[in-house]
Amino acid sequence: MKVISGIPVLDEMIEEIPEGKVLTYWIDPEVEGNVFAMQTLFTNLERDCRCAYVTLTYSPEVVVSEFNEFGWDVENYKNFNIVDLHSAYVGLPSNCKYSADPTNVDEVNDVLMKVIENCDLVVVPVSSIIDVCGESSIECIGEWCDFIRDKSSRLVFTFVSWPYPEKIENFIKVNSNAIVRVGGVHHRVILGYYYGVVKVDWKNIKSKAILFKLVRPGGVRAYIPKILVTGPYNAGKSTFVHAVSMRSISVDRLGTTVALDHGHLEYRGFSIDLFGTPGQERFDPILKIIGKEALGVILVVDSTKPETFPRAKQMLESVAHFGLPYVVAANKQDLPGALPPEEVRKKMYLPEDVPIIPVSAVNGEGVYEVIDSLLGLLTGRLWVSEDEPESTA
Amino acid sequence: MSLRAQLEDILKELKSTGDIEASAIVSRDGLLIAADISSSVNADAFAAMSATMLGAAETAMSELGKGMPDRVVAESSSGKIVATGAGERALLVVMTTPKANLGLILLQLGKASKKVEMLLG
Repeated sequence: MKVISGIPVLDEMIEEIPEGKVLTYWIDPEVEGNVFAMQTLFTNLERDCRCAYVTLTYSPEVVVSEFNEFGWDVENYKNFNIVDLHSAYVGLPSNCKYSADPTNVDEVNDVLMKVIENCDLVVVPVSSIIDVCGESSIECIGEWCDFIRDKSSRLVFTFVSWPYPEKIENFIKVNSNAIVRVGGVHHRVILGYYYGVVKVDWKNIKSKAILFKLVRPGGVRAYIPKILVTGPYNAGKSTFVHAVSMRSISVDRLGTTVALDHGHLEYRGFSIDLFGTPGQERFDPILKIIGKEALGVILVVDSTKPETFPRAKQMLESVAHFGLPYVVAANKQDLPGALPPEEVRKKMYLPEDVPIIPVSAVNGEGVYEVIDSLLGLLTGRLWVSEDEPESTA
Repeated sequence: MSLRAQLEDILKELKSTGDIEASAIVSRDGLLIAADISSSVNADAFAAMSATMLGAAETAMSELGKGMPDRVVAESSSGKIVATGAGERALLVVMTTPKANLGLILLQLGKASKKVEMLLG
């Protein structure tokens, strides 16, 4: 049975967690990274995989309520198992099918190996085990890693990276087939949190950080905080924002945007905020204000009006001069006389690697291809799956 | 009397209230219709930003279910800007001295805005 990570973008990168592999979520202490392992488990629970969750520092009831907080009703799944190391640790009897006394290495080993034999996926809080059972417990953990190699199961470790001795860190690194780093971003403003694949030995991938936020309920959502939609007057920016967004508002008067358009979009696991700018020159001061902290730009041009292209380039330069990735939406393709994307490229003197997507925002055609293309630039194209039509880039 | 002259008269009358340094009638999409502004100010930008300010405030407030704001007031140590709607197509904006008596100005602004609305519809 195929087991996946259940984490947006990550699934497209690593495809699956193959049998016999160990995946570690390497978590900065400031981040609620445990949710990653919980999401991986619940995703596979829903796909009828047999899953087990090892708990040591929290009681089984607390574990279930943590899952519930994210909208994951694990208690209703017969294929969900808790491996209770907590009860014996605090001196209580356990009601769980699998339980052991964490201070008794042999007992823990026996139970864990039984669980590995009977489950497709086992989540283990390795840093908690090391904290409670001491450094010597890594030998025990190493045995599970060896044991799983020829079994039809996988281990998912959560490792909260407190300042452990290098020996322990190296041990985790060596024994993990894949490591996903979960950390915080501090750069002038708090952009949020990120995750990225540091290592994976079953696929050849380019490492890339993905921003995320936690949604309750919902779990891990990849997050692109701000995408700017700009372009000359009457190019169709507002129409574009409305065409792709689930909800959107515009500050427009007498048919033109006087402040901004705002649209929100949940798409491919990304939670995206689009900001449309006014197009007329008298509003240019607004451009710089709205453009601050944007992560990418969509430049909308009217393909029937090449005379507006110089203005489009000027606007692009005023918002994207920090090397922000950008995509050009060659809009109004539904109108006669619309230039094809390659003509737009030529007339705008744009480099070959800039994606130019034919769009009819009015009819909603091509608008998601634009988003796909920009997401591709932002995430290194890694998430694009085979069934995607390639953009014209 | 031309429409333009009538609009300029409204601004002149407004100025006689005192403490008003500049005023303008601006279309909702940010174009200058009539102005009483010294040449040191970029009137076009002032007009556009007034439309932005009022438009954004109106949208923010109505999105929150609080209806339309009567006006937007921006204050700094060197003066105040007050923008108010003047019908569907235009808005009225004044720039005052820092110590201006807002009560009187708001009253006069309200009257002026009604007159502009009558003229521009």
